Amino acid sequence: VRRLTRWYGASPLHLLVLLACFAIAGYAATQLVTSRPESVAIWFIGAVIGHDLVLMPLYSIADGSVLAAIRHRAPKLPAVPWINYLRVPAGLSALLLLVWFPLILRLKTHYQESTTLSPAPFLWHWLAVTGALFLLSAITFALRLRVARRASRRRER
Amino acid sequence: LRRLRGTARPDRLVHLLMPEEPPPGPFRRSFWRSPVRGPWLTSVLGLVLLGGITIMFVTGLLSYDSYNPDLGGGNDYTPGKGWLGFYLFSWPAGPTWLYRVNQGVHVTLGLVLVPVLLTKLWSVLPKLFEWPPLRNPAHALERISLFLLVGGGVFEFATGIINIQQWYVFPGSFYTLHFYGAWVFTAAFVVHACLKMPTVVRSLRRRGFLRELRVDTAHTEPESPDAGSLVSTAPAVPTISRRGVLGFAGAGSLLLLALSAGQSVGGPLRRTALLAPHGQVTGSGPQDFQINVTAAEGGIKPEETGDSWRLTLMSEDSGSSAPVTLTRAQLLAMPQHTASLAINCVEGWSSGNQVWTGVRLRDLARLAGTANPGAVFIQSLQERGGHATLSAGQIMNPDSLLAFRVNGAELSADHGYPARVILPASPGVHNIKWVTNMTFRS
Repeated sequence: VRRLTRWYGASPLHLLVLLACFAIAGYAATQLVTSRPESVAIWFIGAVIGHDLVLMPLYSIADGSVLAAIRHRAPKLPAVPWINYLRVPAGLSALLLLVWFPLILRLKTHYQESTTLSPAPFLWHWLAVTGALFLLSAITFALRLRVARRASRRRER
Repeated sequence: LRRLRGTARPDRLVHLLMPEEPPPGPFRRSFWRSPVRGPWLTSVLGLVLLGGITIMFVTGLLSYDSYNPDLGGGNDYTPGKGWLGFYLFSWPAGPTWLYRVNQGVHVTLGLVLVPVLLTKLWSVLPKLFEWPPLRNPAHALERISLFLLVGGGVFEFATGIINIQQWYVFPGSFYTLHFYGAWVFTAAFVVHACLKMPTVVRSLRRRGFLRELRVDTAHTEPESPDAGSLVSTAPAVPTISRRGVLGFAGAGSLLLLALSAGQSVGGPLRRTALLAPHGQVTGSGPQDFQINVTAAEGGIKPEETGDSWRLTLMSEDSGSSAPVTLTRAQLLAMPQHTASLAINCVEGWSSGNQVWTGVRLRDLARLAGTANPGAVFIQSLQERGGHATLSAGQIMNPDSLLAFRVNGAELSADHGYPARVILPASPGVHNIKWVTNMTFRS
């Protein structure tokens, strides 16, 4: 048993728990793929690739390039760390777009046909919320800057 | 030969095929620079998800049960469920708010958990590029379960979020995909929670939860590299603290909550749901509340709902009388009852309470000759869908009506003229509109 455990790389309980997981998942999967197996598989694999290898690298690169670009262009950066005043409103706005893009971008959905409601307001709502987030962030940053300047002036005196 | 036999142990075999030194790029630990990545952050986010996903699972199972799939007759979209429906029970017809609360929580919490899920996945991304990719059979199996976990998780969230926006691009019926997908995801989720719980406990003990919440960006330090492979070996200068990351995700959750909960709460708060499918207020008339299938979409022709419309009541019981056919005038001459009920959709929104007037379903059962009904199959003029089987509890509830009027006005075509079912505590789709036939059985 010890040799087997060493070969496997973990305790037998680990194997047991994982086999139980695969049994349940496999049972559900056989029902899940009954109608259009390729499409369902594409959705599952696409979910992983779409998130891990597309969405996440995209926002990581965006974050990194903003950080690098502004650091290079502005030699005199404010004393208060500024990146999060940009990161947070941009991130929250992107989050809302990620969740509601079918309505915001007015994709061909059944929405209007089924509900009699117009999808037109969603783009404006999203833009308005985005504007409010950036405004709020700018005001908070301005206040923090003022506090920091006062503190440094006091220190100089 | 002896050398070869010595390599038969899988770890050595792996080393033979795979260089010990990872190739440049994401497979090297130094590629990952974030100083806040590490078991502490991942553990906190994991615990939030553990609570959240558990609620999603329970409300999801209840939502599945609320359709009474065991009654058949148009209720069961997943006949192959087998023992995945082991827990099914007859869905109660009260309290009135039961389905509204369950579904509102399921959908709104699902939205609220999106930023937590995204942050959690960000925090563990280096694991995708582990080196060596497969250490031993245990590691290989665990990685397969992680594929089910991430694939299943993103699949469940994506299908749910796309469905509430009525963008039907997924491969098949939402109901079926979301149900079986949930079981794949849950199986992997439970295993992951079990296997990682010791790490969570260890990480939070080592660093402390509240202690870390007091640390600002300037004082944020990376965890010790031997705390786990998530910790960067070449950490950059921190631009955000750990509490900052949690606050960022929390702000995203609060924002999604604030911009969508109004569609389930209704009333004056509906207008606050600026980014939710049913946040719009259409007017203040008696029929100005949310709908999800119009008469045009249902293929309802005006000549079918005019004077020629009849309601046919039947009983499947042996020895029962011939079908009873009633005109609208005859139905309106029966004892009328009033109930204040909301239409609550599987998509999470609620119409808010409306005052419905009509005849009780249990009175219609008696008229059909079924004194103790066990179920009723309801059909309508609607071309697709438009049928459901209701349980004994739903038929016998005094608030379950075949309604003709709402808020004092004659039902409009889009609200189901000439007659529609309205039920307490039930999924909105079971409030069949444009009803034509009711077949009772004991």
